[in-house]
Amino acid sequence: MQIPEKYLKQVEKPARYVGGEWGQTIKDKTKVDIRFAFCFPDTYEIGMSNLGIRILYDVLNDRADTWCERVYAPWTDMEKIMREQNIPLFALESGDPVKDFDFIGFTLQYELCYTNMLNMLHLAGVPIRTSDRTGTMPIVVCGGPCMYNAEPMADFIDLCIIGEGEEVMDELMTLYAAHKKAGFDRSAFLHDCAKIEGIYVPSLYDVAYHEDGTIASFTPRYDDIPVKIRKRIVKDMDKARFPDKLIMPYIDTVHDRIMLEVYRGCIRGCRFCQAGMIYRPIREKSPDVLCRQGKILADCTGYDEISLISLSISDYSHVDELTDKLLAWTNDRNISLSLPSLRADSFTKELMDKVSSIRTGGLTFAPEAGTQRLRDVINKNIEESDLMNACSVAFAGGKNQVKLYFMQGLPTETDEDLDGIHELCSRVIDCYYRTPGRPKRPPQVTISAACFIPKPFTPFQWEAQCDMDELARKQAYLEGRITDRKIKYHYHDAGVSRVEAVFARGNRKLCRAVEEAVSRGMTFDSWEEHFDYEKWMAVFRDLGIDPAFYANRVYGEDEILPWDNIDIGVTKEFLLRERHRAYEGKTTKNCRETCNGCGADKLGGERTCCPSLKK
Amino acid sequence: MLSEPEKIRVLFQKTGPLKFISHLDLDRTMKAAFLRARLPIKYTEGFNPHPKLVFSLPLSVGTASLCEFMDFRITEDIPKEEIRDRLNAAFPPDLRAIDVYTPETKFCEIGFASYDIVLHAPEADENTVSAIRAAFDAPMNVEKTGKGGTRTLDIAPLCRLLSCEKTEDGIALSLRLSSSETEFVNPRLPLDFLAAHIDALPDDGDYTVCRTAVYRADGVTEFR
Ligand code: SF4
Repeated sequence: MQIPEKYLKQVEKPARYVGGEWGQTIKDKTKVDIRFAFCFPDTYEIGMSNLGIRILYDVLNDRADTWCERVYAPWTDMEKIMREQNIPLFALESGDPVKDFDFIGFTLQYELCYTNMLNMLHLAGVPIRTSDRTGTMPIVVCGGPCMYNAEPMADFIDLCIIGEGEEVMDELMTLYAAHKKAGFDRSAFLHDCAKIEGIYVPSLYDVAYHEDGTIASFTPRYDDIPVKIRKRIVKDMDKARFPDKLIMPYIDTVHDRIMLEVYRGCIRGCRFCQAGMIYRPIREKSPDVLCRQGKILADCTGYDEISLISLSISDYSHVDELTDKLLAWTNDRNISLSLPSLRADSFTKELMDKVSSIRTGGLTFAPEAGTQRLRDVINKNIEESDLMNACSVAFAGGKNQVKLYFMQGLPTETDEDLDGIHELCSRVIDCYYRTPGRPKRPPQVTISAACFIPKPFTPFQWEAQCDMDELARKQAYLEGRITDRKIKYHYHDAGVSRVEAVFARGNRKLCRAVEEAVSRGMTFDSWEEHFDYEKWMAVFRDLGIDPAFYANRVYGEDEILPWDNIDIGVTKEFLLRERHRAYEGKTTKNCRETCNGCGADKLGGERTCCPSLKK
Repeated sequence: MLSEPEKIRVLFQKTGPLKFISHLDLDRTMKAAFLRARLPIKYTEGFNPHPKLVFSLPLSVGTASLCEFMDFRITEDIPKEEIRDRLNAAFPPDLRAIDVYTPETKFCEIGFASYDIVLHAPEADENTVSAIRAAFDAPMNVEKTGKGGTRTLDIAPLCRLLSCEKTEDGIALSLRLSSSETEFVNPRLPLDFLAAHIDALPDDGDYTVCRTAVYRADGVTEFR
């Protein structure tokens, strides 16, 4: 504990700052060579729920020479005290200042946490720019999905981990230990890091621009580092490191339960979805391995819920076997099983009877678009009949509420598609009244509508986001259509989505904007009460940055994209092909039905569905 | 298997970072620990069964304790020492089971609790000590917020100053406070009163509090 008690008494949720939980790793600091501060640029409650951190904490602490500790962004009340009292950012386990560590790691899960990362470096007393960090100052290493386009943060990050970190992290520590022994030279170390597959060192690459602001070239500074950085994957998920001890938070966190990762990747190819592309190829764990791991976690945590984690659980090829094997012992131990990410076409009566959390939990489906035409454009292979079947099963089973996720502003969307959202919901209500054995209460359909954000490494990466006026018009239009009180309409803030779009497709010129925003006190942008669209526009304006260049421009098909330096396995040709099929309204079959030659199979993998990898 | 689940009481300590978790969070932490310890205990009935735990006195966030009680029922015959050891193996380091036994009392028989308090007060001197002693001999009117709204209450009859001395940079005192179901005095009440009336004492919460013992209604027999 490093914060004096009197300050802890002055803040909301002091347990965020004291550590000491069951399962944390304490080591003798005189006996380790490497101190690693694993930072999550958001609150404790959100960070503690992150599966990636749990895995990497375990990987790092498994090494005798390394001690990995946790750091979360202090909430504004605590930050104020830390600044007033000159308390530097510290790690929870030891209470030691982060600035004395060898590594400061961040996981960047969403663009709106960029300001928090810089603010935390600032609180730590570490220079935020790579170029200002010298000698033995901490090495700042980042991972997470945002690293597939790290360019808007390139000036601040020494090393980017591209892809799955468990193996790279270990190699990185080994390399560091060797360099430290031989007399540490920062630039020689960074140069050597760039030779590890899956590590991108932004400072070793120069970017040149055309006059119109698009990229002219991307050049490595050395001949012996790759021009294109290939992502890393864990090939055999059965052998992937799996934490057999978890930290049990004292306070309520977002996902306070066992998270059992069933597989990585996705067989679907929704054209707006980044996760569906960057984690390819699909790699499954065997049911027996999962069952064993679930048991170990139940024993060591005392959680009473196991959540099966994947992008779409019903796409797991042994879903019945797995649930049967788990239920065989979880029921006796009063442990409940939850299956998030259930697709409408796999929601059956059998599943509902079997899994209690489906009976009791909320019902949510993601048709994403209101008409079959637009669902074909985005390749969301869900038919209306699938949705209606799923709803009637659920209604007959006693439910009267359903939540449907949609996206507004998708490429080719017209007002007819927005009408379609409303009509689809009305038909769900009709379906409710038609279902025999439904509850007596009136039904409730909730629409949760996000704004389309073009994301790197998707077939829609070239598309423009609708401008703010158009997004607002679409939201007002749909709101105006809905007169039935049984339909509720929630939509995401268009300003938030626009700033996200700017950074998602940004280049290095945006680094200054993040830095400037932090200097203006802008943090916790992912929190509605902190996000201020006007302030962001002022930052862009004052720096001469045009947000529309990033968010609302159609990127050229032959343009060098800021993220073209990264190789995710899936090829640009495949993405382009998919884009063109979208405009033709043609769907593409999922990977289990047929291989569409996306290119991800060259990365290898066990228990995939790629024909080239089958033995 | 026991024909009738046996009632068990645990005397435990809650110190260090655990001071800063609320009662609700302690309850969750305990439940997870019981599951880790794999003790066959009685669950609540109903749709979402969970270990049934009953705690004695409330403890404010920020207060440590060497003397907390918790009751549960066990469905198999397991030696008390083994229960204690299994709990300690499953508890976080700052939660310690001290004793496990068959209770012969009820929590409603608790009458008093004593606390050790260290105030950080560099300006305090012997006069401060006298002022504190004097304060406990006169009425101590405080605002107390309860179910029926806020009322003014003289807590002096419910508080006893057991000791008070000057330390290097402050004051160490020890208090015994009424802790019955009807008259529960939170140590913050006398401390806030002292801070408001004695200049040399901190009013920014710069003190530590630790509950050290719990007594029956006679004020001398330790509750067990
Ligand atoms: S190579 Fe074929 S089967 Fe494998 S992920 Fe790509 S499209 Fe799917």
